[in-house]
Amino acid sequence: MSPNALRRNNVKVFGNGTQPMLFAHGFGCDQNMWRFMTPAFENDYRIVLFDYVGSGKSDLSAYDQSRYSSLDGYAQDVLDVCHALQLRDVIFVGHSVSSMIGVLAANREPDLFARLVLIGPSPRYINDAPDYVGGFERSDIVGLLETMEKNYIGWANFLAPAIMKNPDRPELSAELEASFCSTDPVIAKNFAEATFFADNRADLAAVQVPSLIMQCSDDMIAPNVVGDYLSRELPGSTLATLRATGHCPHMSHPDETIAVVREYLRTPVSRERRSAQHA
Amino acid sequence: MTDEARTLDPLLDEEPCGFISFADDGAVRVVNRTLLDMLGYARGELIGKHVETILAVGSRIFYQTHFFPLLRLQGHADEIFLLLRAKSGSDVAVLANAVRRERDGESITDAVLLQLVERRKFEDALLEAKRVAEEATMTANAHRSELERQAVELEMSQEQLELQARELERQRSIAEDANHAKSAFLAMMSHELRTPLNAIGGYVQLLEMGVHGPVTPAQIDALGRVTRSQQHLLRLINDLLNLARIESGRVDYDLQPIALDDIVQATLPMIEPQLAARGLRYELNVPLELKAQADREKIEQILLNLLSNASKFTQPGGCVTMEANVAPDDIDFVELKVIDTGVGIPNNRLDAVFEPFVQVESSHAARVDGSGLGLSISREMARGMGGDISAESTLGVGSTFTIRLRRG
Repeated sequence: MSPNALRRNNVKVFGNGTQPMLFAHGFGCDQNMWRFMTPAFENDYRIVLFDYVGSGKSDLSAYDQSRYSSLDGYAQDVLDVCHALQLRDVIFVGHSVSSMIGVLAANREPDLFARLVLIGPSPRYINDAPDYVGGFERSDIVGLLETMEKNYIGWANFLAPAIMKNPDRPELSAELEASFCSTDPVIAKNFAEATFFADNRADLAAVQVPSLIMQCSDDMIAPNVVGDYLSRELPGSTLATLRATGHCPHMSHPDETIAVVREYLRTPVSRERRSAQHA
Repeated sequence: MTDEARTLDPLLDEEPCGFISFADDGAVRVVNRTLLDMLGYARGELIGKHVETILAVGSRIFYQTHFFPLLRLQGHADEIFLLLRAKSGSDVAVLANAVRRERDGESITDAVLLQLVERRKFEDALLEAKRVAEEATMTANAHRSELERQAVELEMSQEQLELQARELERQRSIAEDANHAKSAFLAMMSHELRTPLNAIGGYVQLLEMGVHGPVTPAQIDALGRVTRSQQHLLRLINDLLNLARIESGRVDYDLQPIALDDIVQATLPMIEPQLAARGLRYELNVPLELKAQADREKIEQILLNLLSNASKFTQPGGCVTMEANVAPDDIDFVELKVIDTGVGIPNNRLDAVFEPFVQVESSHAARVDGSGLGLSISREMARGMGGDISAESTLGVGSTFTIRLRRG
């Protein structure tokens, strides 16, 4: 809502088109992950990249633990960036958890968005017996958190206080800056918990913006059953199954990803105006 | 192209760390013997499978969210902790260095996996110690906040106490002024009272001597009554002044070790005439070695007072006994008792006799001569010396007055 969001969220704007294409990174990374996709769209669209507060080169001092313990806090970042740039008619491209973040943002301000492109989305990661398969048990997420803790993120956990006290060792902070996985470990853990313990199934029915579900083959994080669930529950959605395997097709199989997105954007979709009771 | 046909360099196969190569889609191309042994797989069970096969679930997620993106964007990932899943299902902790590069027309990631056993325990212990330290710091900070809060409270209490102390000092000063005023008043009053009394005494004496003319026996008798009343008033005034002085704490006690027997012997000559006149006998039972830490003059005064009372309230033919012993309840105190076989004091008046101006009416005599101040003065003095006086009595049998003093 204020110009500060541009600096706070490390916003980058480029491209020759007029309609904005806003790319939202997933958990664990930053805007760099879009590097293999944006060249294909920058001539036709106005590309907007950003980092969520706590990721990438965002302003860590703006981090608020309670706000960013829930995906609503991240959705607010999306809206803040849109407002700061006075965007309209936005094509929102979200990877992984950013899919649901986009859903939440679109539910808050549906008129802001033209389309939602959701790469590897999941409304809930943890299984909810007997009917819902998210793919994980709670213990699996605990295993992830432990792995995160033990990694150089956790290592930075030790060093971070030392680094702050050693301004005469700039090479240390330079190293950490270069590696995008070097976000503050507490922040990273919070984001992980906000992502993997979220349940946004109830938010799907209210979505008024047309969406593309990009389902990868053999994606352990967003398995096929989840894609099927979404295509049933997300109104105005189109399901595209990719040959690409894994969870990051925009990095592992950028060509196919680009082609699918382009095809979707070329296809006109009707926007169904929902009555208020769905809100 | 797969590497099934390619034989692995024996050096690489047997090197003391695991080695694995996999494509961008995760398919395992190469795996060395060390890694196979680490995990309990045969080579054929892993080649062509997704690298996730050998990762524990948490690490699989980590691979998708962190490890692969790092490789893809940065080209390398260093010192990555991963939990591998052996064929048996158990976990194997490793540290991975990986490089992604082009080989044979595709992107291949080569990773070296170093098993962590001791180092992992070391890391775990460090992390735990850090957690404990952080908790301790939080607790210490909480305590410090609490202590700071208490310090502030103490400061406020202290200020209050200082205020109270000043107030007390102010009141003490007022009380002392009042005390001084009272003493001065009493001294002045006693002087004012004595002067006319002396005049009365003087003129009565002159009259008795016949200075102003002959006196008849009836007149002498009447003058005698006047004299007695005057004497009584004088004694009353003296006692009042004494009591006032004692209550103000303006009496000094010269405390010395004094043999109780000495006191008794010194007092006897003063009381013997009175006893004899009343037809009373006396007995002594005072061990020679018993000493009190007391003011000699005041003890004598007290004893005289008690003996005088005893003789007044005992019928002719009765007996007054003086006894002394170590206090039965405390060997640091001695008791000097005056026991009479007199009329006795009712139980509900035993405490009252020590109050100023109280005299117990006896059925046998009209008001007995005395100011009624003696016992209150005696008790004040006994207390001033660190002791006390108490009384026991049985109506018709007698009374025991006990002077309790510090042992000398």
